[in-house]
Amino acid sequence: MKKLLLICLCFFLLSWKPPINLSKLSKAKKGLELVSGAAHKISEEEEYYIGRAVTANILSQYPLWKNSEVTRYLNLIGKVLALKSARPEIFAGYHFCLLDSDEPNAFSAPGGIILLTRGIVAMAENEDELAAILAHEIQHVVAKDPLKAIKSQRLKALGTFAAGEAIGSSDQVLNIFQDSIMDISGTLLQKGYSRKQEKNADLGAIELLKAAGYDPQALLAMLQKVKAIEKKKAKAFSAHPSASKRIAYVEDNLDQGSVKSGKSSRLPRFNRFVSRPKN
Amino acid sequence: MKQKLSLLFLLATSALLLAGKVLVVKVLRSNLLAKPDFLSASLAPMQKGAKLELIEMQGNWYLVRNAVGLKGYVHQTAVAESKTNLSGIIPGKKGASEEELALAAKGFNEGNEKKLRGSKGYNFADVDWVMDWNIANTALAAFIREGKLK
Repeated sequence: MKKLLLICLCFFLLSWKPPINLSKLSKAKKGLELVSGAAHKISEEEEYYIGRAVTANILSQYPLWKNSEVTRYLNLIGKVLALKSARPEIFAGYHFCLLDSDEPNAFSAPGGIILLTRGIVAMAENEDELAAILAHEIQHVVAKDPLKAIKSQRLKALGTFAAGEAIGSSDQVLNIFQDSIMDISGTLLQKGYSRKQEKNADLGAIELLKAAGYDPQALLAMLQKVKAIEKKKAKAFSAHPSASKRIAYVEDNLDQGSVKSGKSSRLPRFNRFVSRPKN
Repeated sequence: MKQKLSLLFLLATSALLLAGKVLVVKVLRSNLLAKPDFLSASLAPMQKGAKLELIEMQGNWYLVRNAVGLKGYVHQTAVAESKTNLSGIIPGKKGASEEELALAAKGFNEGNEKKLRGSKGYNFADVDWVMDWNIANTALAAFIREGKLK
Protein backbone atom coordinates (compact mmCIF):
# COMPACT_ATOMS: atom_id res chain seq x y z
CA MET A 1 0.00 0.00 0.00
CA LYS A 2 2.89 2.36 0.83
CA LYS A 3 4.36 1.67 -2.58
CA LEU A 4 1.07 2.55 -4.21
CA LEU A 5 0.89 5.81 -2.28
CA LEU A 6 4.47 6.61 -3.22
CA ILE A 7 3.74 6.00 -6.91
CA CYS A 8 0.61 8.17 -6.67
CA LEU A 9 2.65 10.94 -5.04
CA CYS A 10 5.36 10.72 -7.72
CA PHE A 11 2.80 10.82 -10.51
CA PHE A 12 1.02 13.78 -8.90
CA LEU A 13 4.30 15.69 -8.57
CA LEU A 14 5.21 14.90 -12.17
CA SER A 15 1.90 15.95 -13.59
CA TRP A 16 1.06 18.86 -11.25
CA LYS A 17 1.32 22.35 -12.64
CA PRO A 18 0.78 25.52 -10.62
CA PRO A 19 -2.71 26.95 -11.07
CA ILE A 20 -2.77 29.69 -13.66
CA ASN A 21 -5.34 32.12 -14.91
CA LEU A 22 -5.76 30.96 -18.52
CA SER A 23 -7.55 34.12 -19.48
CA LYS A 24 -4.67 36.29 -18.24
CA LEU A 25 -2.11 34.03 -19.89
CA SER A 26 -3.93 34.21 -23.19
CA LYS A 27 -4.08 38.00 -23.03
CA ALA A 28 -0.42 38.18 -22.05
CA LYS A 29 0.49 35.99 -25.03
CA LYS A 30 -1.48 38.20 -27.37
CA GLY A 31 0.19 41.21 -25.79
CA LEU A 32 3.53 39.73 -26.73
CA GLU A 33 2.32 39.46 -30.30
CA LEU A 34 1.67 43.18 -30.09
CA VAL A 35 5.33 43.77 -29.43
CA SER A 36 6.74 41.35 -31.97
CA GLY A 37 4.05 41.62 -34.65
CA ALA A 38 6.07 39.69 -37.22
CA ALA A 39 4.69 38.07 -40.37
CA HIS A 40 5.34 34.58 -39.08
CA LYS A 41 2.77 35.11 -36.32
CA ILE A 42 0.03 34.99 -38.94
CA SER A 43 -1.54 31.54 -39.03
CA GLU A 44 -1.95 29.50 -42.22
CA GLU A 45 -5.70 30.12 -42.18
CA GLU A 46 -5.24 33.86 -41.82
CA GLU A 47 -2.69 33.78 -44.63
CA TYR A 48 -5.32 32.05 -46.77
CA TYR A 49 -7.92 34.77 -46.19
CA ILE A 50 -5.35 37.52 -46.76
CA GLY A 51 -4.34 35.77 -50.01
CA ARG A 52 -7.94 35.53 -51.20
CA ALA A 53 -8.50 39.24 -50.58
CA VAL A 54 -5.21 40.22 -52.25
CA THR A 55 -6.16 38.09 -55.27
CA ALA A 56 -9.64 39.62 -55.33
CA ASN A 57 -7.99 43.03 -55.38
CA ILE A 58 -5.62 42.08 -58.23
CA LEU A 59 -8.53 40.55 -60.18
CA SER A 60 -10.40 43.83 -59.91
CA GLN A 61 -7.52 45.45 -61.79
CA TYR A 62 -6.52 42.64 -64.16
CA PRO A 63 -9.27 40.53 -65.72
CA LEU A 64 -9.02 36.79 -65.16
CA TRP A 65 -8.47 34.72 -68.31
CA LYS A 66 -10.78 31.76 -67.79
CA ASN A 67 -9.09 29.38 -70.18
CA SER A 68 -9.66 25.96 -68.62
CA GLU A 69 -7.04 24.09 -70.68
CA VAL A 70 -4.16 26.45 -69.99
CA THR A 71 -5.23 26.96 -66.36
CA ARG A 72 -5.23 23.20 -65.78
CA TYR A 73 -1.81 22.91 -67.44
CA LEU A 74 -0.43 25.66 -65.20
CA ASN A 75 -1.88 23.95 -62.13
CA LEU A 76 -0.24 20.66 -63.09
CA ILE A 77 3.21 22.23 -63.54
CA GLY A 78 2.79 24.33 -60.42
CA LYS A 79 1.70 21.40 -58.30
CA VAL A 80 4.70 19.29 -59.42
CA LEU A 81 6.98 22.11 -58.28
CA ALA A 82 5.09 22.93 -55.07
CA LEU A 83 5.31 19.34 -53.86
CA LYS A 84 9.11 19.61 -54.08
CA SER A 85 9.20 22.88 -52.15
CA ALA A 86 9.87 23.39 -48.47
CA ARG A 87 6.17 24.14 -48.04
CA PRO A 88 4.30 21.46 -49.99
CA GLU A 89 1.19 21.52 -47.79
CA ILE A 90 -0.45 24.90 -47.56
CA PHE A 91 -3.85 25.72 -46.05
CA ALA A 92 -5.98 25.33 -49.19
CA GLY A 93 -3.27 24.12 -51.58
CA TYR A 94 -1.51 26.04 -54.33
CA HIS A 95 -3.59 27.53 -57.14
CA PHE A 96 -2.40 28.99 -60.42
CA CYS A 97 -4.31 31.22 -62.81
CA LEU A 98 -3.97 33.49 -65.81
CA LEU A 99 -4.53 37.20 -66.18
CA ASP A 100 -5.81 38.56 -69.46
CA SER A 101 -3.03 41.07 -69.94
CA ASP A 102 -0.25 41.41 -72.50
CA GLU A 103 1.98 43.02 -69.92
CA PRO A 104 4.53 40.32 -68.97
CA ASN A 105 4.24 39.82 -65.23
CA ALA A 106 3.67 37.29 -62.47
CA PHE A 107 2.44 37.68 -58.90
CA SER A 108 2.31 35.47 -55.83
CA ALA A 109 -0.42 36.18 -53.32
CA PRO A 110 -0.26 34.86 -49.75
CA GLY A 111 -1.66 31.38 -49.28
CA GLY A 112 -0.26 30.08 -52.56
CA ILE A 113 -2.35 31.80 -55.22
CA ILE A 114 -0.06 32.50 -58.17
CA LEU A 115 -1.12 34.68 -61.08
CA LEU A 116 0.58 34.85 -64.48
CA THR A 117 -0.29 37.24 -67.27
CA ARG A 118 -0.87 36.03 -70.83
CA GLY A 119 2.12 38.22 -71.69
CA ILE A 120 4.59 36.27 -69.60
CA VAL A 121 3.14 32.90 -70.64
CA ALA A 122 3.62 33.94 -74.27
CA MET A 123 7.30 34.62 -73.58
CA ALA A 124 7.96 31.02 -72.54
CA GLU A 125 9.13 28.78 -75.37
CA ASN A 126 8.80 25.50 -73.53
CA GLU A 127 7.37 23.94 -70.35
CA ASP A 128 10.64 24.31 -68.47
CA GLU A 129 10.62 28.08 -68.97
CA LEU A 130 7.03 28.25 -67.76
CA ALA A 131 8.06 26.14 -64.78
CA ALA A 132 10.91 28.58 -64.07
CA ILE A 133 8.43 31.46 -63.70
CA LEU A 134 6.19 29.39 -61.43
CA ALA A 135 9.14 28.14 -59.35
CA HIS A 136 10.24 31.73 -58.68
CA GLU A 137 6.73 32.69 -57.52
CA ILE A 138 6.34 29.54 -55.40
CA GLN A 139 9.57 30.44 -53.60
CA HIS A 140 8.03 33.80 -52.63
CA VAL A 141 5.10 31.91 -51.08
CA VAL A 142 7.45 29.48 -49.31
CA ALA A 143 9.38 32.43 -47.83
CA LYS A 144 6.06 34.18 -46.97
CA ASP A 145 7.40 37.26 -48.76
CA PRO A 146 3.91 38.62 -49.57
CA LEU A 147 3.00 38.63 -45.85
CA LYS A 148 6.18 40.50 -45.02
CA ALA A 149 4.81 43.41 -47.05
CA ILE A 150 2.22 44.08 -44.34
CA LYS A 151 3.34 47.09 -42.35
CA SER A 152 4.24 46.10 -38.81
CA GLN A 153 1.95 48.80 -37.40
CA ARG A 154 -1.09 46.85 -38.67
CA LEU A 155 -0.09 43.69 -36.83
CA LYS A 156 0.79 45.68 -33.75
CA ALA A 157 -2.65 47.29 -33.83
CA LEU A 158 -4.28 43.87 -34.17
CA GLY A 159 -2.21 42.68 -31.24
CA THR A 160 -3.49 45.60 -29.20
CA PHE A 161 -7.08 44.64 -29.94
CA ALA A 162 -6.45 41.00 -29.30
CA ALA A 163 -4.85 41.74 -25.95
CA GLY A 164 -8.01 43.46 -24.80
CA GLU A 165 -11.63 42.49 -25.18
CA ALA A 166 -12.85 40.04 -27.82
CA ILE A 167 -13.09 42.04 -31.00
CA GLY A 168 -14.97 39.87 -33.48
CA SER A 169 -15.21 41.73 -36.77
CA SER A 170 -15.31 45.36 -35.77
CA ASP A 171 -14.93 48.13 -38.33
CA GLN A 172 -11.48 48.92 -36.98
CA VAL A 173 -10.34 45.38 -37.59
CA LEU A 174 -11.89 45.43 -41.05
CA ASN A 175 -9.91 48.59 -41.80
CA ILE A 176 -6.70 46.88 -40.69
CA PHE A 177 -7.58 43.91 -42.89
CA GLN A 178 -8.11 46.20 -45.89
CA ASP A 179 -4.96 48.23 -45.19
CA SER A 180 -2.96 44.98 -44.98
CA ILE A 181 -4.38 43.90 -48.36
CA MET A 182 -3.33 47.23 -49.87
CA ASP A 183 0.18 46.88 -48.38
CA ILE A 184 0.59 43.56 -50.17
CA SER A 185 -1.08 44.60 -53.43
CA GLY A 186 1.09 47.72 -53.51
CA THR A 187 4.21 45.59 -53.13
CA LEU A 188 3.12 43.06 -55.74
CA LEU A 189 1.90 45.53 -58.35
CA GLN A 190 4.15 48.53 -57.85
CA LYS A 191 6.78 48.64 -55.14
CA GLY A 192 8.21 45.15 -55.53
CA TYR A 193 10.09 42.91 -53.14
CA SER A 194 13.56 43.70 -51.86
CA ARG A 195 16.54 42.62 -53.95
CA LYS A 196 17.39 40.07 -51.29
CA GLN A 197 13.89 38.55 -51.50
CA GLU A 198 14.11 38.38 -55.29
CA LYS A 199 17.56 36.83 -55.20
CA ASN A 200 16.42 34.20 -52.71
CA ALA A 201 13.39 33.42 -54.89
CA ASP A 202 15.62 33.01 -57.95
CA LEU A 203 18.13 30.79 -56.16
CA GLY A 204 15.35 28.77 -54.58
CA ALA A 205 13.72 28.39 -58.00
CA ILE A 206 16.92 26.81 -59.36
CA GLU A 207 16.78 24.13 -56.65
CA LEU A 208 13.05 23.61 -57.13
CA LEU A 209 13.44 23.12 -60.89
CA LYS A 210 16.21 20.59 -60.32
CA ALA A 211 14.21 18.70 -57.70
CA ALA A 212 11.20 18.42 -60.01
CA GLY A 213 13.27 17.30 -63.00
CA TYR A 214 13.05 20.55 -64.98
CA ASP A 215 16.08 22.18 -66.58
CA PRO A 216 17.24 25.00 -64.24
CA GLN A 217 18.86 26.74 -67.23
CA ALA A 218 15.29 27.64 -68.19
CA LEU A 219 15.35 30.35 -65.52
CA LEU A 220 18.37 31.92 -67.18
CA ALA A 221 16.64 31.71 -70.58
CA MET A 222 13.58 33.52 -69.18
CA LEU A 223 15.70 36.23 -67.55
CA GLN A 224 17.51 36.85 -70.83
CA LYS A 225 14.14 37.39 -72.52
CA VAL A 226 13.15 39.77 -69.76
CA LYS A 227 16.40 41.68 -70.25
CA ALA A 228 15.68 41.99 -73.97
CA ILE A 229 12.28 43.56 -73.42
CA GLU A 230 13.16 45.51 -70.26
CA LYS A 231 14.36 48.55 -72.15
CA LYS A 232 11.44 48.51 -74.57
CA LYS A 233 8.68 48.16 -72.01
CA ALA A 234 9.41 50.04 -68.84
CA LYS A 235 6.30 48.68 -67.11
CA ALA A 236 7.24 45.06 -67.57
CA PHE A 237 8.66 43.56 -64.38
CA SER A 238 8.76 47.03 -62.88
CA ALA A 239 8.49 45.40 -59.46
CA HIS A 240 11.65 43.33 -59.95
CA PRO A 241 15.34 44.24 -59.84
CA SER A 242 17.04 44.57 -63.21
CA ALA A 243 17.33 41.38 -65.24
CA SER A 244 21.07 41.94 -65.75
CA LYS A 245 21.72 41.69 -62.03
CA ARG A 246 19.52 38.62 -61.75
CA ILE A 247 21.25 36.94 -64.69
CA ALA A 248 24.63 37.49 -63.03
CA TYR A 249 23.82 35.69 -59.81
CA VAL A 250 21.70 33.01 -61.48
CA GLU A 251 24.63 32.19 -63.79
CA ASP A 252 26.93 31.96 -60.77
CA ASN A 253 24.61 29.45 -59.15
CA LEU A 254 23.83 27.23 -62.11
CA ASP A 255 25.76 24.03 -62.59
CA GLN A 256 27.49 23.75 -65.92
CA GLY A 257 25.48 21.78 -68.45
CA SER A 258 21.73 21.72 -68.60
CA VAL A 259 19.39 18.84 -67.86
CA LYS A 260 18.38 17.73 -71.33
CA SER A 261 16.61 14.50 -70.55
CA GLY A 262 12.86 14.67 -70.83
CA LYS A 263 12.73 18.21 -72.18
CA SER A 264 11.68 17.10 -75.64
CA SER A 265 8.96 14.84 -74.25
CA ARG A 266 7.33 17.91 -72.65
CA LEU A 267 7.31 19.95 -75.84
CA PRO A 268 4.20 18.38 -77.47
CA ARG A 269 1.97 19.16 -74.50
CA PHE A 270 3.42 22.65 -74.17
CA ASN A 271 2.61 23.31 -77.82
CA ARG A 272 -0.83 21.81 -77.34
CA PHE A 273 -1.73 23.98 -74.35
CA VAL A 274 0.27 27.15 -74.65
CA SER A 275 1.40 27.86 -78.20
CA ARG A 276 -2.09 27.89 -79.62
CA PRO A 277 -4.42 28.37 -76.69
CA LYS A 278 -8.12 28.29 -77.40
CA ASN A 279 -10.17 31.16 -76.06
CA MET B 1 -4.61 -7.99 -4.86
CA LYS B 2 -2.79 -4.82 -3.78
CA GLN B 3 0.25 -5.87 -5.78
CA LYS B 4 -1.92 -6.39 -8.87
CA LEU B 5 -3.49 -2.98 -8.39
CA SER B 6 -0.07 -1.40 -8.03
CA LEU B 7 1.11 -3.08 -11.20
CA LEU B 8 -1.96 -1.97 -13.12
CA PHE B 9 -1.54 1.57 -11.86
CA LEU B 10 2.13 1.53 -12.86
CA LEU B 11 1.29 0.28 -16.33
CA ALA B 12 -1.42 2.88 -16.78
CA THR B 13 0.78 5.78 -15.71
CA SER B 14 3.69 4.56 -17.83
CA ALA B 15 1.45 4.34 -20.87
CA LEU B 16 0.16 7.83 -20.21
CA LEU B 17 3.63 9.29 -19.86
CA LEU B 18 5.00 7.49 -22.91
CA ALA B 19 1.98 8.14 -25.12
CA GLY B 20 2.78 9.68 -28.48
CA LYS B 21 2.38 13.37 -29.12
CA VAL B 22 -0.86 14.50 -30.63
CA LEU B 23 -0.78 16.31 -33.96
CA VAL B 24 -3.60 18.33 -35.43
CA VAL B 25 -4.22 18.81 -39.15
CA LYS B 26 -3.78 22.55 -39.82
CA VAL B 27 -4.58 22.59 -43.55
CA LEU B 28 -8.10 22.54 -44.97
CA ARG B 29 -7.74 19.08 -46.51
CA SER B 30 -5.01 16.47 -46.61
CA ASN B 31 -4.61 12.72 -46.91
CA LEU B 32 -3.31 9.97 -44.70
CA LEU B 33 -0.86 8.36 -47.11
CA ALA B 34 0.34 4.79 -47.47
CA LYS B 35 3.96 5.90 -47.95
CA PRO B 36 5.98 9.04 -47.20
CA ASP B 37 5.29 10.23 -50.74
CA PHE B 38 2.59 12.65 -51.90
CA LEU B 39 1.80 10.43 -54.86
CA SER B 40 1.29 7.26 -52.81
CA ALA B 41 -2.17 5.85 -52.16
CA SER B 42 -4.49 7.77 -49.87
CA LEU B 43 -5.64 5.65 -46.93
CA ALA B 44 -8.11 8.24 -45.66
CA PRO B 45 -8.96 11.87 -46.35
CA MET B 46 -8.34 14.26 -43.45
CA GLN B 47 -9.98 17.57 -42.63
CA LYS B 48 -8.63 20.54 -40.72
CA GLY B 49 -8.71 19.90 -36.99
CA ALA B 50 -8.40 16.11 -37.24
CA LYS B 51 -6.17 14.76 -34.50
CA LEU B 52 -3.44 12.20 -35.09
CA GLU B 53 -1.18 10.29 -32.78
CA LEU B 54 2.49 10.63 -33.67
CA ILE B 55 4.22 7.27 -33.89
CA GLU B 56 7.56 8.31 -35.34
CA MET B 57 9.29 10.90 -37.47
CA GLN B 58 10.88 10.02 -40.81
CA GLY B 59 12.62 13.07 -42.20
CA ASN B 60 9.96 15.60 -43.17
CA TRP B 61 7.23 12.99 -42.71
CA TYR B 62 5.36 11.71 -39.69
CA LEU B 63 4.10 8.17 -39.26
CA VAL B 64 0.79 8.66 -37.45
CA ARG B 65 -2.34 6.86 -36.30
CA ASN B 66 -5.74 8.43 -36.93
CA ALA B 67 -8.89 8.34 -34.79
CA VAL B 68 -9.96 4.96 -36.12
CA GLY B 69 -6.52 3.43 -35.63
CA LEU B 70 -5.36 3.61 -39.23
CA LYS B 71 -1.60 4.06 -39.57
CA GLY B 72 -0.17 6.18 -42.35
CA TYR B 73 2.02 9.13 -43.27
CA VAL B 74 1.46 12.86 -43.24
CA HIS B 75 3.89 15.62 -44.25
CA GLN B 76 5.09 17.80 -41.39
CA THR B 77 3.82 20.98 -43.09
CA ALA B 78 0.23 19.69 -42.91
CA VAL B 79 0.12 19.36 -39.12
CA ALA B 80 0.89 21.22 -35.93
CA GLU B 81 1.58 19.87 -32.49
CA SER B 82 -1.62 19.90 -30.50
CA LYS B 83 -1.81 21.28 -26.99
CA THR B 84 -4.45 18.74 -26.11
CA ASN B 85 -3.74 15.29 -24.75
CA LEU B 86 -4.36 11.95 -26.39
CA SER B 87 -7.97 11.87 -25.24
CA GLY B 88 -8.56 14.68 -27.72
CA ILE B 89 -8.36 12.12 -30.51
CA ILE B 90 -11.61 10.57 -29.36
CA PRO B 91 -14.38 11.81 -31.66
CA GLY B 92 -16.91 14.07 -30.03
CA LYS B 93 -14.45 15.70 -27.62
CA LYS B 94 -13.90 18.77 -29.71
CA GLY B 95 -12.87 22.15 -28.46
CA ALA B 96 -11.37 25.25 -29.95
CA SER B 97 -7.62 24.96 -30.25
CA GLU B 98 -5.31 27.71 -29.10
CA GLU B 99 -4.73 28.55 -32.76
CA GLU B 100 -8.44 28.80 -33.43
CA LEU B 101 -8.93 31.08 -30.46
CA ALA B 102 -6.10 33.31 -31.65
CA LEU B 103 -7.65 33.38 -35.12
CA ALA B 104 -11.06 34.34 -33.78
CA ALA B 105 -9.49 37.35 -32.14
CA LYS B 106 -7.84 38.63 -35.29
CA GLY B 107 -9.19 40.23 -38.39
CA PHE B 108 -7.99 38.07 -41.26
CA ASN B 109 -10.99 35.78 -41.38
CA GLU B 110 -14.05 34.70 -43.36
CA GLY B 111 -16.25 37.23 -41.57
CA ASN B 112 -14.24 40.15 -42.86
CA GLU B 113 -14.04 38.63 -46.33
CA LYS B 114 -17.86 38.57 -46.38
CA LYS B 115 -17.88 42.28 -45.53
CA LEU B 116 -15.53 42.99 -48.44
CA ARG B 117 -17.53 40.94 -50.94
CA GLY B 118 -19.31 43.25 -53.31
CA SER B 119 -17.07 46.19 -52.41
CA LYS B 120 -15.36 48.13 -55.15
CA GLY B 121 -11.81 46.90 -55.67
CA TYR B 122 -12.50 43.24 -54.84
CA ASN B 123 -13.50 40.51 -57.28
CA PHE B 124 -14.14 37.47 -55.09
CA ALA B 125 -16.29 35.70 -57.69
CA ASP B 126 -13.23 35.11 -59.84
CA VAL B 127 -11.18 34.09 -56.78
CA ASP B 128 -13.72 31.30 -56.24
CA TRP B 129 -13.20 30.17 -59.86
CA VAL B 130 -9.43 30.03 -59.26
CA MET B 131 -9.80 28.13 -55.98
CA ASP B 132 -12.07 25.54 -57.56
CA TRP B 133 -9.11 24.11 -59.49
CA ASN B 134 -7.95 20.92 -57.90
CA ILE B 135 -5.63 18.38 -59.45
CA ALA B 136 -6.17 14.72 -58.61
CA ASN B 137 -3.10 12.73 -57.61
CA THR B 138 -3.67 10.27 -60.46
CA ALA B 139 -3.62 13.10 -63.01
CA LEU B 140 -0.50 14.53 -61.42
CA ALA B 141 1.27 11.16 -61.47
CA ALA B 142 0.41 10.72 -65.16
CA PHE B 143 1.65 14.26 -65.91
CA ILE B 144 4.96 13.53 -64.15
CA ARG B 145 5.39 10.24 -66.02
CA GLU B 146 4.56 11.72 -69.41
CA GLY B 147 6.94 14.63 -68.90
CA LYS B 148 9.73 12.46 -67.46
CA LEU B 149 9.72 14.55 -64.31
CA LYS B 150 10.49 13.53 -60.71
